[in-house]
Amino acid sequence: MNVVEASGLGKRYGGTWALRECSLAIPAGHVVALVGPNGAGKSTLLNLAVGLAAPSAGAVTVLDGRPPGSPDALDGIAFVAQDTPLYKNLSAADMLHLTRNLNRRFDQASAEARLGELGIPLKQKAGKMSGGQQAQLALTLALARRPRLLVLDEPMAMLDPLARHDFMAAVLTAAAEDGVSVLLSSHVLAELERVADYLVLMSRGRVQVAGEVDDLLASHRILTGPAAEASKCADRPVVYVRRAEVQAHLLVRATADDPIPPGWEAHPVGLEELALAYLREPGAAALPGPARGRDAEPSEVTK
Amino acid sequence: MTIDKRSSQVGGSAGDSPPTPGGRDGSATGRGPGSAIEFRLDAASGVPTYLQLVHQVEHALRLGYLKVGDQLPKVRDVVASLAINPNTVLKAYRELETKGLANGRPGQGTFIQATLNQVALPELTALHRSLLRWLTAADEAGLDEDGIVALFTSALRDFYEHRSGSRTRGGAASGETEDVA
Amino acid sequence: MTALAVPARPVQDASLRPVPWRRMAWVTWRQHRFALTGVATLLGVLAVCLWIVGLQLHHAYAAALACHRSGSIACEGLIGNFNGMNKVLSNGSVLQAVPALIGAFVGAPVLARELETGTFRFAWTQGFGRWRWTLAKLVALAVVVVAAAGALSVLISWYYQPYFAAGNETLSLSEVSPFAAGLFDLRGVALAAWTLAAFAIGALAGTLIRRVVPAIIVTLAVYAGLALAAGIFLRKHYLTPLVTSKLNLPETAWITSQWGTKGGKFAFAGRAPINLLEQFCPPSAVGPGKPSEATFARCLGHHGYTLWTSYQPASRFWPFQWIEGGWLLALSLLLIATTVLLVHRRGT
Repeated sequence: MNVVEASGLGKRYGGTWALRECSLAIPAGHVVALVGPNGAGKSTLLNLAVGLAAPSAGAVTVLDGRPPGSPDALDGIAFVAQDTPLYKNLSAADMLHLTRNLNRRFDQASAEARLGELGIPLKQKAGKMSGGQQAQLALTLALARRPRLLVLDEPMAMLDPLARHDFMAAVLTAAAEDGVSVLLSSHVLAELERVADYLVLMSRGRVQVAGEVDDLLASHRILTGPAAEASKCADRPVVYVRRAEVQAHLLVRATADDPIPPGWEAHPVGLEELALAYLREPGAAALPGPARGRDAEPSEVTK
Repeated sequence: MTIDKRSSQVGGSAGDSPPTPGGRDGSATGRGPGSAIEFRLDAASGVPTYLQLVHQVEHALRLGYLKVGDQLPKVRDVVASLAINPNTVLKAYRELETKGLANGRPGQGTFIQATLNQVALPELTALHRSLLRWLTAADEAGLDEDGIVALFTSALRDFYEHRSGSRTRGGAASGETEDVA
Repeated sequence: MTALAVPARPVQDASLRPVPWRRMAWVTWRQHRFALTGVATLLGVLAVCLWIVGLQLHHAYAAALACHRSGSIACEGLIGNFNGMNKVLSNGSVLQAVPALIGAFVGAPVLARELETGTFRFAWTQGFGRWRWTLAKLVALAVVVVAAAGALSVLISWYYQPYFAAGNETLSLSEVSPFAAGLFDLRGVALAAWTLAAFAIGALAGTLIRRVVPAIIVTLAVYAGLALAAGIFLRKHYLTPLVTSKLNLPETAWITSQWGTKGGKFAFAGRAPINLLEQFCPPSAVGPGKPSEATFARCLGHHGYTLWTSYQPASRFWPFQWIEGGWLLALSLLLIATTVLLVHRRGT
């Protein structure tokens, strides 16, 4: 089952395309990291997936083929937008009551228990809570709806490290216990590395990389060797080259079993290094299925 | 096999002696009759998370913190305390199953089913002391820390290659990664 | 391909019925109780004032009536007292603001505040669905607001009742046409209908403008324009006016235009022009004292002129109320439907 499927999806605001030719098939049962620099189109994609925006081109379906604004989709997806919008003059208890009234399923008991564990008094007005408490309240409301997909738009931008840890622990516990699929976006990859097992990398409105983290890491290698021989590795798809006077590093698409040219070393690549390389190489893409840019000539970076 | 610059520790118990099997004080969060050990995560070490968990279990087995029949921490508890992906924990537990060290019982949890060759504490102390003597010699010969590590790594590689005789390309066995030198 | 390790939540066999509409009652109340209590306070204060002042008015009227029957000269004082009371309210001016304020301050923030603060990202991703949420809120608030306005208009009608009693003119008591500009839309169904229209304008303005304060201002401006246009241009044409050449129409009638003809041909519009009067009706011909309209008319009549008046009789008050209420209701429904449709169709 795919939680989000998009084909040729695009969204235009005025004259600018915020998202273009986006094709994805995100499977269920994963914690999906949607990563990219500011302005890459992450929020746009999430807004399209939860039905807050309508596509200008292409189509998107959620939860196995349902249209995003439909009652089933609304029922099964819980969304926490950027800056966790809550009604500032409502208390936590009022927010619980409100959310319960607006949804078919609501687990009031577990929501209250969670707020109790977090030390958020039910009578406290949402506007008077700290940023971390507001984020936790928004997350509590979302999880109490027992969704199948939890969508979080840069949820941790305003949180300090402790609050971030607690927030992600809560999200991941829900994923572990209830099988909730999670789709969260951030422009900081480092904080998502140990959390995500599926990566979608976006840049300038396009999806560059989409796939399971394990597969991506297993299918890329850094080859280090003499700069003069850098062209020798051209038979493998090269994503990115960093060349100094004598030494060069190439990020290639190769597995551990592929033979290495003599005189070269192969190293595995970490997720952040992989992401940065792709972001620096806009023409490159690592998408499941036919992808553009796989054979594009990478530019070279000389020191 | 990689040598971490810092040895991975098994934390969890306030005291220094290994706790009795099957018994661990209920923590403040009340995990109940929980597991004997608790995991920690070194995010900057470069070792994949699931491998860190595997190593910590193996280390606990060696030192006697874990015995056959002990339950490993529940996936949910590990996720809640470390904030890591549940699939990572499951991958670590599957790796332990592949190695024959643990066994997952559906609906109950994962339990230790075999043990590694335990090295007794006096033997470990003796090995530690002889290693220190070797290190002193290397230091007097003029090797710095990184040189020592490189020398040891290549010697380790040679040792296991010689021993198994069929490894390819140095150290690329399942579950092990090459460190960037 | 890594196998799914944690099984995804399966399709729930949750009840397939949509979330019931009545759940929105608490939601609407809780989110708008500030505005609603404000309206209640405003109307409450107005009602109390009207009640107090109205009692005085009714007493004065009863006294003047009773006095006249007994026929004493001191009645002049009482009559003057009644006629001079509450000049401000007598043309209804202050109360005209009530529907505008209610519509602007209750209607505009419904959507404008959600869009301005970003909370629509929460509200419209809940299971209830965004167009149902909008419709439920708007209908609930509209009903409350219209009911309150309706109650107030009953009180207002009671207040103005002495002015519309029959036979006031013979007693030289103030008499006002029910079509008087400031009074028509305060009585009958008009007040409730105008309040509903203001609310609907506010709702649509809030959706289009997306900021609370500008939406309120625009609502007030649009409402004022519409009310003025309706009062000045539209209302007189609801039914074809009656035309008569009789000269002494009751004061309760609403005169829409006057003109004069001579020999069947159009001579002048409005009242008789000065040059004609000087020509045909010099002071020598009409006699001493300030001549009245009737005198001029008779004088001109001798010279072949006929004065025509088109007017709406007072008896047409209720038909006009229904007509005005009808088109305001239709307009309001259209605006609310447009608002809901915009919410449903538009991605933000």
